Amino acid sequence: MRVPLGTLFGARSGDKGGDANIGVWARSDEAYAWLRATLTEDLLKTLLPEVRDVSRYELPNLRALNFVVRGILGDGVAASTRFDPQGKALGEWLRSRVVDIPNELLP
Amino acid sequence: MIRVGNASGFYGDRATAWQEMLDGGPLDVLTGDYLAELTMLILAKDRMKDPGTGYAKTFLRQLEGFLQTARDQGTKIVTNAGGLNPAGLRKAIEAVAPGVKVAHVEGDAIAPNANAYLGAFGIAECLKAGADVVVTGRVTDASLVVGPGIARYGWTPGDLDALAGATVAGHILECGAQATGGNYSFFTEIPDLDHAGFPIAELHGDGSSVITKHPGTGGAVTVDTVTAQLLYEIGAPEYLGPDVTTHFDTIRLTQLGQDRVEVTGVKGSPPPDTLKVGTIALGGFRNSMTFVLCGLRIEEKAALVERQLRRRLDHPMEFTLARTDHPDADDEQRASALLAVHIKSTDQKAAGRAFSQAAVELALASYPGLTLTGPPGDATPFGVFSAGSVPRGEVPHVAVLPDGSTVEVR
Repeated sequence: MRVPLGTLFGARSGDKGGDANIGVWARSDEAYAWLRATLTEDLLKTLLPEVRDVSRYELPNLRALNFVVRGILGDGVAASTRFDPQGKALGEWLRSRVVDIPNELLP
Repeated sequence: MIRVGNASGFYGDRATAWQEMLDGGPLDVLTGDYLAELTMLILAKDRMKDPGTGYAKTFLRQLEGFLQTARDQGTKIVTNAGGLNPAGLRKAIEAVAPGVKVAHVEGDAIAPNANAYLGAFGIAECLKAGADVVVTGRVTDASLVVGPGIARYGWTPGDLDALAGATVAGHILECGAQATGGNYSFFTEIPDLDHAGFPIAELHGDGSSVITKHPGTGGAVTVDTVTAQLLYEIGAPEYLGPDVTTHFDTIRLTQLGQDRVEVTGVKGSPPPDTLKVGTIALGGFRNSMTFVLCGLRIEEKAALVERQLRRRLDHPMEFTLARTDHPDADDEQRASALLAVHIKSTDQKAAGRAFSQAAVELALASYPGLTLTGPPGDATPFGVFSAGSVPRGEVPHVAVLPDGSTVEVR
C-alpha cells in the first residue's frame, strides 16, 4: 500500500557543520528488515531531491539506519540561508514521503 | 550507582529546569550543556564586545537561583557554560557565591578562534578535589556525564568499555528533553508532553546505565525515545571521542519498567591520536527580506521582484519561493506564498540598508498586493564553523581546582 514512510518509522535529524544526519528507526524486526532492504542511498535521494551526497550506516541493534548527508547546509547553521538551517526537520520531511509498504507490515 | 541529571540541552533551554531537576528528587550530579556550534559563534560575538564575557550568561543567573538547593542536597553541578571563557565564569560565580567551591577546566582554547574538544578527565580531577561547581569550556558534550563517572568509579584511560558506556549515557542526556519525548516522531503517543521532564542516568561502575526521569514529570522514557536521541547528530557507528571510540552498533536497550530504559553492552576501543578542533571565523554579513505574494500568478510575481532587485543591486542574492498558497482560498494567509530574498556579502553596507531599502522601494512599483513580513533592517555578521583536528599532545588539558592549584591531565 502507498503510505507515508512515517506510518511505520521514526526519524531524527540534525546538523554537524555543513552536513546533516538523518537517523531512521523501525519498531519491529520485520519492519527493520524491510527498511534495510528498501531505503537505500538512491531511494533517499529520490525521496529528498535536495540530498546529493549521502552515506548510509546500519545499526541493527537499534533497528536503525543512519544517513549522513554532506554539504546540504552549506557553510553551517549560522551561515546557511536554507529554510531549515540546522536540518532539524529533514527527518519529518522524509517521514511524510509516500512509499510502497507491504500490507502485512502495516498496523 | 550515581544519579546524574541534565538540566540544559542548549544555550536558551528552559530557564527553570535546574530548579525543577533539584526539586524533583535526589541527584548526585546535575549537568547542563550550553555549547552547540552555533553557540560558540554567539559567545565569540559577545566577547568581541566585552573581553570579560564569552560564557553563557544565563547560567550565572540560573545558578544564583538554584545554588542553595543544590548545596543543601549535596548535588554537584557540572556544566560547559564556561564557553570561550571558563575562568571568567568561575570568577563570576565566586563573586556571587562566596564560600562555594568552584573549579574549572581550561586548555581547549588553542587559538583565539579555535577550541579543541577535551575529554572528561579534567572534570573528574575537579570533582575529586571536592568542587561543588565545575565549569568548563569546550569539552565533548558527553564528558559532562563521563567525568562524574570517572570521579566516582576511578576509571582509568584503559577502562574503555566503561568510558564508552558512560559516553552513551552522556549522549542520551546531552540534549535534555530530546530523550524524554521532545522532538519525537511519535509524539502523539506520549501521554503528557506539555511539560516534559529532563533526563537522568543512573550510572553504574561498568559504564552501564538506566535512563529515567523524575516521577510525576511529563514526557516519557521508552526504548523508542532513547533510540531517537541516540540517532541525533551521529555519523559512522564508530563514534570518535577524546577518551574513547564508542561503538554505537553494540548498544543494547531494554525497557525495565515505566520510564526506565537500561543501556548495556557498549564496547569501546582506543580514541584517535588527534582531538577534534572547532574553528570559528567571521564569514561576512547577511540580511534577508521576505515578500508576501497573494493570489494569482505567483511565479510571475516572484520573477518580477527578482528582476527588479537584480537590476538595482549588483550583488549575489538568493531567491527562494515557498508555495504556501492554495487556489481559491477562503483565508488570506492560505492564499499567500512567501518569497525570501537573502544576501551575503563581505561588505556590511551592501548587505545592510542598501539591500533592505531596495526591497522597500519596490512597494508601489512592483507586483499587485506587495507586502513584506518585516521592516528593513541592517546586516548581521555571520560566522562559519569548521572542524579540523590537532595532535593530542599539543593541547593542554588543565583542571584548576577550588584552591587555585592546577592539575595537568595526561
